[in-house]
Amino acid sequence: MREQRRKDAVWKFLTYSFIIVMTIGMMVPLYWMIVAATLPQEEFIRFPPRLYPGTEFFANFAVLHEETQFVISIWNSVFIAVVYTALSVILCSMAGFAFAKYEFRFKEPIFYLILATLVLPIQLLVIPLFLMMAQIDWTDTFRAIILPWLANPIGIFLMRQNMKSIPDALLESARMDGATEFQIFYRIALPAMRSSIAALAIILFLFQWDLFLYPLVILEDPGNYTIPVALSGLEESRRINYDQIMVASSLAIIPMAILFLVLQKQFVSGILAGSLKE
Amino acid sequence: MATKRSSSSPERSSSVRDRLRWARQDISSVLPSLTFAQVAYVLISPFFFLFGLFLLFPVVYTIYLSFFRYEGVSGDTLFFIDFGPFFIEFPQIAELTFIGFGNYSRMLGDGLFWQSMYNTTYILLIQVPIMIGLALALALALNAGFVRFKGVFRTAVALPVSANIVAYSTIFLILFNETGFINYMLTQVGIEPVEWMRSEFWARKTIISAVTWRWTGYNMIILLAGLQTISTQLYEAAEIDGASRWEKFRYVTLPQLRPVLLFVVVLSTIGTFKLFAEPYVITGGGPTNATITIVQYIYEEAFVGSPNLGYASALTVVFVAIVSVISIIQIKLGGDD
Repeated sequence: MREQRRKDAVWKFLTYSFIIVMTIGMMVPLYWMIVAATLPQEEFIRFPPRLYPGTEFFANFAVLHEETQFVISIWNSVFIAVVYTALSVILCSMAGFAFAKYEFRFKEPIFYLILATLVLPIQLLVIPLFLMMAQIDWTDTFRAIILPWLANPIGIFLMRQNMKSIPDALLESARMDGATEFQIFYRIALPAMRSSIAALAIILFLFQWDLFLYPLVILEDPGNYTIPVALSGLEESRRINYDQIMVASSLAIIPMAILFLVLQKQFVSGILAGSLKE
Repeated sequence: MATKRSSSSPERSSSVRDRLRWARQDISSVLPSLTFAQVAYVLISPFFFLFGLFLLFPVVYTIYLSFFRYEGVSGDTLFFIDFGPFFIEFPQIAELTFIGFGNYSRMLGDGLFWQSMYNTTYILLIQVPIMIGLALALALALNAGFVRFKGVFRTAVALPVSANIVAYSTIFLILFNETGFINYMLTQVGIEPVEWMRSEFWARKTIISAVTWRWTGYNMIILLAGLQTISTQLYEAAEIDGASRWEKFRYVTLPQLRPVLLFVVVLSTIGTFKLFAEPYVITGGGPTNATITIVQYIYEEAFVGSPNLGYASALTVVFVAIVSVISIIQIKLGGDD
């Protein structure tokens, strides 16, 4: 018995050490970003480096703001990601509902076609999309960044799987009460899918937030840049130092971090609510 | 269910809210006239329109382009439809010369293509197992009953996913700088500093650690959620049978977690395969092309210097085919039927 208790104590110790080491490992790059963002350049590149933050954050930010349009880029990225996420969630849940609860011609083959595109890295359709956008003069516009990814296969897949779990009896009884099909959709199906919608919103927001290659090709005017494109531009420009880039990076983390912290719980329950059982 | 709102007398008020309500009633008075089957078509058609235009057509067009040499943007008209008052013109998308399988045969002798395939596979084979292993271990640890402050640890480990893709690449660039934090720590414990970006071996390891840092927490969250759906009765039954910690993991946790694990493995494989921003920012593909990935090579062929869109399309076709086949194999091997 005592042997067992000692073993358990060792096991607890190992588990805690592992968690703590990993947590520190995850925090080091973020901490280093803040150190770099709050020091003047000369002090930052010195070796051995200073290991604790300074007080120059706002001075660095002032230079960044004066020399670049980075603040506009944050707004651009948030705007694009929010509009994209909202539209795509609506589109995917409508289509997902149809696939889960209605019968129509070629339903099965169409669903398998969508399923097949699930394994395609769709961000790689850059070349045809670029040619299409160039042809209709949409380069350097936000609609060119938003529209092509609205019909996201992962979205329809997730919504279809989760909407299958809505009991048919519930929909039937609503029909008996005289609800129209659209009322059933937005009064019953959508509210029941709240956690799935939150999960999908995180996935789609992150998808758009992480797009880099495509906006890099489409966007030309620095006033239209999204965060990743603007950041990679900062790196190439000689007037901007790493301390300013780190200020930009710190600011760029905030929107996604807020979204993730707020929706973390729903993300977990939503993504598992039946999506993986098939 | 159907809450019919009696329309208020029009002369009483015409506030915005009332007008909105009338508009909604107008709309809903049109909608119910659709039959059950028609509703389905209304629900799916916006999705299909965009899906066809921006996903299916580009896929087909990429394959088409891969048989041509790209000569430039075209101003010509491919065909037009004349309805009298409506005149719809379909422009020819690009000026092209048909070269058959020319792009594909060029690929066979293209050293840089093979190099980039090799680099991508190398990074993938090391990065994905490490990341999934760490994510699973963390999920198991944070699922243990005795661990406190779970929420704090979970959030801290998952926070890297909030970092912007180019931003975190830049952070790793300065961390692994010759005079950066990592080398400083190495000298503190008495190890020679490493020239991370100058050696093939270490440049690849830098990319691998960056990708692992960002995505471990994300995968951990999904795996943790999967662990929490496993019924405690299964563990209790195993305990009664005298199962050890390892046996419980091997015979209860792993089989129960299989669908979630498969989901995570497939997504991570696709994700690492299409690596672009990290090598583009951290190493620029160097040293001597040791970290150039396939997507980066496609980007350079298509958009840097003279645009070889035909050749880049052929590269895309081959690459997407490989990724799809690997994903399908993983799903076949990992699925239970």
